[in-house]
Amino acid sequence: MDGSIVENPVSALVDDRMDEGMFRVDRSVYTDEDIFEQEIAKIFEKSWIFLCHENQVEKHGDYFWTEIGRQPVFVHRQDDGSLKCFINACSHRAAILTPFRQGNAKTLTCRFHGWSYKCDGACIGIKNEEPDTDKSTFDLREIARLDSYGGFVFGSLSADVPSLDDWLGEAKSWIDLMVVQSTEGLEVVPGSPIYAIDGNWKFQAENSVDGYHVSTVHRVFANTIAAREGKGEYTGIKKTEAGRMAGGVPTGSYDLGNGHMAVWAQHTTPEVRPIWEQKERLERDLTPAQVDWILNKGRNLYIFPNVMLMDNPSTQIRVMKPISASRMDVSVYCIAPKGESDTARAGRLRKFEDFYLTAGMATSDDLAALEDTQEGSLATGAKWNEFTRGMDSIIYGPDKEAAALGFNPPVCTENWDHEIHYHGFYRQWLKMLEEN
Amino acid sequence: MSDLQKEVTNLIYRESTLLDRREWDDWIDLYTEDAIYWVPSWANEEETTDDPELQLNLIYLRNRGGLEDRVFRIESRDSYASVPLDRTVHVVGNVLVENENGDEVEATANCIIHTYGKKGGLTRGSLYDFSMRRVDGELRITRKKITFIDDRLEGPIDVYHL
Ligand code: FES
Ligand SMILES: [Fe+2]
Repeated sequence: MDGSIVENPVSALVDDRMDEGMFRVDRSVYTDEDIFEQEIAKIFEKSWIFLCHENQVEKHGDYFWTEIGRQPVFVHRQDDGSLKCFINACSHRAAILTPFRQGNAKTLTCRFHGWSYKCDGACIGIKNEEPDTDKSTFDLREIARLDSYGGFVFGSLSADVPSLDDWLGEAKSWIDLMVVQSTEGLEVVPGSPIYAIDGNWKFQAENSVDGYHVSTVHRVFANTIAAREGKGEYTGIKKTEAGRMAGGVPTGSYDLGNGHMAVWAQHTTPEVRPIWEQKERLERDLTPAQVDWILNKGRNLYIFPNVMLMDNPSTQIRVMKPISASRMDVSVYCIAPKGESDTARAGRLRKFEDFYLTAGMATSDDLAALEDTQEGSLATGAKWNEFTRGMDSIIYGPDKEAAALGFNPPVCTENWDHEIHYHGFYRQWLKMLEEN
Repeated sequence: MSDLQKEVTNLIYRESTLLDRREWDDWIDLYTEDAIYWVPSWANEEETTDDPELQLNLIYLRNRGGLEDRVFRIESRDSYASVPLDRTVHVVGNVLVENENGDEVEATANCIIHTYGKKGGLTRGSLYDFSMRRVDGELRITRKKITFIDDRLEGPIDVYHL
C-alpha cells in the first residue's frame, strides 16, 4: 500500500440524494460475493445478532445451536440461571459440540475424540491426557457480548457494540407490544420449519416490511380466503382476516433508526385475532395506545440485521442466516402467549400455517417473488433499485400513531405502500460497510 | 394379491397420477367431505410434531374445503409460486394394508416425488398414512398424513409436491 486514501467503492452503491428526491441502491448489492464477504465481516460479525428466545433454553443445561453470520455458536443455560454463548466448535479439532439444534446437556462431550466441557465452557476432560497439559487453555471461547431484551436473546462476536438497549432503541416499544401479551411470558410452539431461499438476505429484510406488495402478491390469498369464508366455513377465530390485504385501510411505515424498520396496517376484524380473548386484561394493565396497537394494528418489525417479529395474521419470529450473496436459510417460529386458551392457540397456529409457511398460501408466493428479484438483479444493464415512493409525504419524527404509543422514529410516512423506511436500512448498511 | 390390497393400491396410485396430471377436481373427489389432510412439521431432527391442533404443522386441513382452497389458488393463475407450475412425478411403493374394520381401512405407503421447476430437478420423499372408508361401494380417503422427510424446505411446497 502506498498510503494514499482509496475511496471505499461501496459508497457508490447507495445513491442517497434526498435534496434531489432520489434514493436508489445498486442491484449488485444483492449479487456480488465480495460485497457479501464484507457484510459478513462488517455487519454480521460486528453487531448484535438475534440468537434465540429465552423460552428455548429454559432449564439448566438447555442449549440452542445457531449461527452468527456463518459462525456456529450455542447458547447454554448455566446452573445459576444465567446464559452464556460459546463458539460451537471443539477446542481440539473443531467438531460441533451439540448433537442437536436444541437439547439439554449439563456437560458437553465431543463425539470426535471425547474431550468434555462443563456448562460454563471449562475444558474438564481430555482423553488419554498427556502430562502437564493445562486444560484451561482449551476452555470454550465465549462470544464477546450476550444480552436479552424481553426474552429475546442477542449476541455479538464483537465487544465494540453499544448496549443492547441502545442498539434496539426505538424498536423496543414494538418488542414490548409482543412481550406484554402474556403475564406469564411468551413461548415458542413446537415445530420450527426452515426454508432455504435462493436470494440475498437483504431481500428478506425488505420483504418483511414491504406493505406495497401485499395487495398484489397476496391478492390471491385474500381471494382464496374470501371464497372459503363465502362457503360459511371458518367462522370466529378460525377466520383468517383478509380484509386488510385488499388495501384501503390505515397503514404506516417507520424507519426506527440503526437500520430497524417497521410497518403496520389496521385490522378490519380484530375480534378474530387470538389475542382478542385477552382484551379486558390488556385494557386493565396497559395504556389505551398499547391496547390499540396490540389489538387493531397488524405489525411487522425488522431488527437489523437478522430477525423479524411479526404480529399479523399470527405471531412469528423469523430468523435469517446468510449463506452467500444469493442464498440464505430462514427459520420460522410461532411465538405465543403462555397460558392462552386452546382455542386461541389453535386459531393462531392455523393462521400461521395458512399464511406464514412456504407450504402455506402466502409466504410461498413471497418466496417465489423474492427469488425472481434475485434473478432480475443479475441484469446489470439496468442497475438501480429506486426507493422513492413517498418522498413527498415524509414526516421527520413521530406521526400521531407513534406519538400515542411513545416511540420516536427518525422518519416515517402514514402509508405502508411507501419506501422511505428502507433509507434508514441502507444508510445503516452503508455506514457499517464503510467502517474499517 | 387380495382384492382389498389391490383396491387400496389402486386408490393410492390414482391419487398420485391425478396430482401429476393436474386433474385437481378428480383428485379432490378421492377425499370425503370430512377428510383430514395433515403434514406435520419436524419438532427436532428425529421427531415430527404429533399434536396437529396445538403444535405447528406444515399443512393441517381439517376438511376437504382446505384442499379446495389449494386448488382454487392454483387455478386462479394469480399465485406467484404456482405460475409456472412445477412438474411432478410421484412414484408410490410399499403399499401395506394395515387394518380393516368394516368399511374402514388403514394403509401406509412410501412415495418418491421428483419435481422439476425453477430450481431444476429435486427429488424428495414422503411417508403416507392413509385412513379410508367405503362410501357407496368405493373406497375414499378420510385422512392422509404425510411425513415429508425434508425439514429444510427448498422452494414453495404445495399439495402436489408432497
Ligand atoms: S475434535 Fe473434539 S475431541 Fe477432537
Ligand atoms: Fe408477503
